[in-house]
Amino acid sequence: MTHQRMSGRRIACALVMVFITATLLFTRLVDVQVVRASELQEQSAAIRTTDETVWASRGSIIDSFGNDLALDVDRYDLSADPSRAGDFRRDGETISLELAMAEIATLTGADADELIYAVASNTTTRFTYLIQGVSPEIRLALRELRIPWLQMDLVRERTYPFGPVVGNLTGMLGTDEPLAGIERGYNECLAAQNGVATYQRGADGVRLPGTTQVASNPVHGGDVVLTLDSDLQWYVLQQLAEHGSRLGAQYGSAMVVRVADGHILAAADWPTFDPNDFAQTPTGNTGARVFSSPYEPGSIMKSIGVAMLIDGGYTYAEDRIVAPGFFEVYSGTYIKNFAVADDRQLTTAGVLYTSSNTGMSVLSSRMPKSTATNYFRKFGFGSSTAVDFLGESPGQLIPADKVDVVTRYNQFFGQGISVTAAQMAGAYQTLANDGVRVPLRLVEGCLSNDGIFAENPVEAPIQVVSASASHQVIRALETIVSQGPLKNTLGIPGYRVAAKTGTAEIADSSGYGDERVISLAGMAPAEDPEYVVLVSFYKPQTSRVSTAAAPAFHDVMSHVLKHYRVAPSSEPAALPPLTW
Amino acid sequence: MNARVIPPFQPRTPRSAHTLSARRHATPPKAVPKMRYAVATLVGIFAILGGQLLLSISVSSGAYTIAGLKSDVRTSEQSLQIVAEDIGALTAPDTLASLAGSMGMVEDNNPAYLRISDGTVLGEAAPADTASETPVYTVTAGTEDRVPPRIVDDVYALLTAQVTPEISAEEALLAAVVPVAQNTTSAVVSSAMVKTATPVAVGTFGGSIPSPSTR
Repeated sequence: MTHQRMSGRRIACALVMVFITATLLFTRLVDVQVVRASELQEQSAAIRTTDETVWASRGSIIDSFGNDLALDVDRYDLSADPSRAGDFRRDGETISLELAMAEIATLTGADADELIYAVASNTTTRFTYLIQGVSPEIRLALRELRIPWLQMDLVRERTYPFGPVVGNLTGMLGTDEPLAGIERGYNECLAAQNGVATYQRGADGVRLPGTTQVASNPVHGGDVVLTLDSDLQWYVLQQLAEHGSRLGAQYGSAMVVRVADGHILAAADWPTFDPNDFAQTPTGNTGARVFSSPYEPGSIMKSIGVAMLIDGGYTYAEDRIVAPGFFEVYSGTYIKNFAVADDRQLTTAGVLYTSSNTGMSVLSSRMPKSTATNYFRKFGFGSSTAVDFLGESPGQLIPADKVDVVTRYNQFFGQGISVTAAQMAGAYQTLANDGVRVPLRLVEGCLSNDGIFAENPVEAPIQVVSASASHQVIRALETIVSQGPLKNTLGIPGYRVAAKTGTAEIADSSGYGDERVISLAGMAPAEDPEYVVLVSFYKPQTSRVSTAAAPAFHDVMSHVLKHYRVAPSSEPAALPPLTW
Repeated sequence: MNARVIPPFQPRTPRSAHTLSARRHATPPKAVPKMRYAVATLVGIFAILGGQLLLSISVSSGAYTIAGLKSDVRTSEQSLQIVAEDIGALTAPDTLASLAGSMGMVEDNNPAYLRISDGTVLGEAAPADTASETPVYTVTAGTEDRVPPRIVDDVYALLTAQVTPEISAEEALLAAVVPVAQNTTSAVVSSAMVKTATPVAVGTFGGSIPSPSTR
């Protein structure tokens, strides 16, 4: 009986125990599986899941021949975990940290001691960069080394294959944002949005197949297409460097414009900078002076002035005037010529040929100053060009009612008015194109990643002066190249070239000083101009007369004619008389 | 085993009396077929489970194949990028100019043209001045020059290696005769063969750069 009761109690006890245990387990089960289920799942997913950047490419900047001027490329950042960096076994040999670093250094060109130091000095962290921006080619070679602690992460890097050749126009990309030029001005077209993907990995860190989920898709940037001819730009830049350093100039700028459509084929600045490596560049050199630095252009403005006067009916190429030795503006204030102090009997063409300031003043006195200001404005002075380059200067055109009695004359020979090289090239394009100004064009448009080309709006051409006026000016400019003292320097055998020299005084705090800007602007072939070339040097030291810019102009113009296969001139020139 | 357990359960299932009695009488002979069904069912279940396992293995190995192919695409894209970067470096105008200069090419800034229709020479034809070799100028200020990519050095080395030793006509002929004589039965060398031999020497650009003969 007792035994039976005992065992019965035991059984009851055991059953209670089992029941309690079962209840506890069940509670726990419900807690884990139902109550905290989502929280725990999130935690476990967080442990297994890793985020990953899906790189999107920033758009390229492309020249008119399809050359990439700026593009994104794959690069790798090399890093190591200092706590794991040490000896490892490879093919039955023990490879020490020093040996591995020496191998890395040989392939990448880095300094092995610096690499070892990077690891040795960062023992408390679990991550240190070794080398950043390693090319995929070198990365493949590094992978062959099978170094277990070496980590190589993909990054996208901006490169500029033409480097300094087009750096002034492309601008550059800083660490966070574009800093200058097209990169910044057209960031909306170029910018890309990186995507994010998540994937799960096992305990050994291996990615579990099929677990990759794209959280946000990468959006690639569009390409900016330029009118530029990078090969020509290189040549022009070389000429600026050669002649600029010969002249001891502070800087030089040059432009080549196609007459028919106003396309900028070259817009070079010297000295310039390399957008691949611009940290050490003096800030003045990182921009595009052709667009951003206005200057008083000097006598190259006379061609524009004469075109205005002929168009307004105030004179014509063969018109006979007397250019006095001194032109009295008001009592005691005179305009004088560069070298000549005698009165001379010149035609209007002869005024351009001799670059006579007094002759120019006699002619310009015939035109009301408000009319002149309107003409200057129609030529594009005083407002930014259609290129609307980032940081472009509109120059300075004084309103007609503020133009004083001296400036009124000075403007016709390029003082008292400041212009950029781009504006001046645009004005010569007008002369070359039968008086029709086709707004300058540098950016054709944006080619989006899905193949849609958004063309930059083409501005309507403007008839600034009559075709006859522009032809008369071009004939007069031809005399400078074919008969002037510079004919041996400027002439290109077989071609008719029209060009005008200019030497402008640079104003400083105490008025006009000794420093000069020398420039040459012209076009060829003169019978039907196809290309306009402008070359200017700022503050030349070895020679301060415009003739010093002639060799650079000649070399650029002759290269342009050769480069674009322009047929030599066949019609002889019918040039106007210069004196009477 | 199972066959013996089943009968006590049978009364619980609602069946007609006829079936019940028939079943009771038929129980011993039907035990064997039931065993077979059970085995078949189990085999079926295991087959399905096994099949499912195989399917999932093949699906995940497919995922590995996809991952592998994706990484192949990535590698190919990078190879393309590596080659494109090399081409970019070689077609950069300053590289071309210095390579052309290293081959002794000079610039002539006074071009002349021959008009085919009437044979007129346009412009003033004069030989280029070989002394006017222009260097490639540095155009930056305040920055060090970039180290040219390795490929440029390689091509430069190949070009200078070919240009520097002046090969006389006889040597070129001799160089052309030897391989021809060895490889063919004919030892006759015409002047045309000498011509074809010269591009072979230039072709050692690592064999990778196509000759521009088609342009």
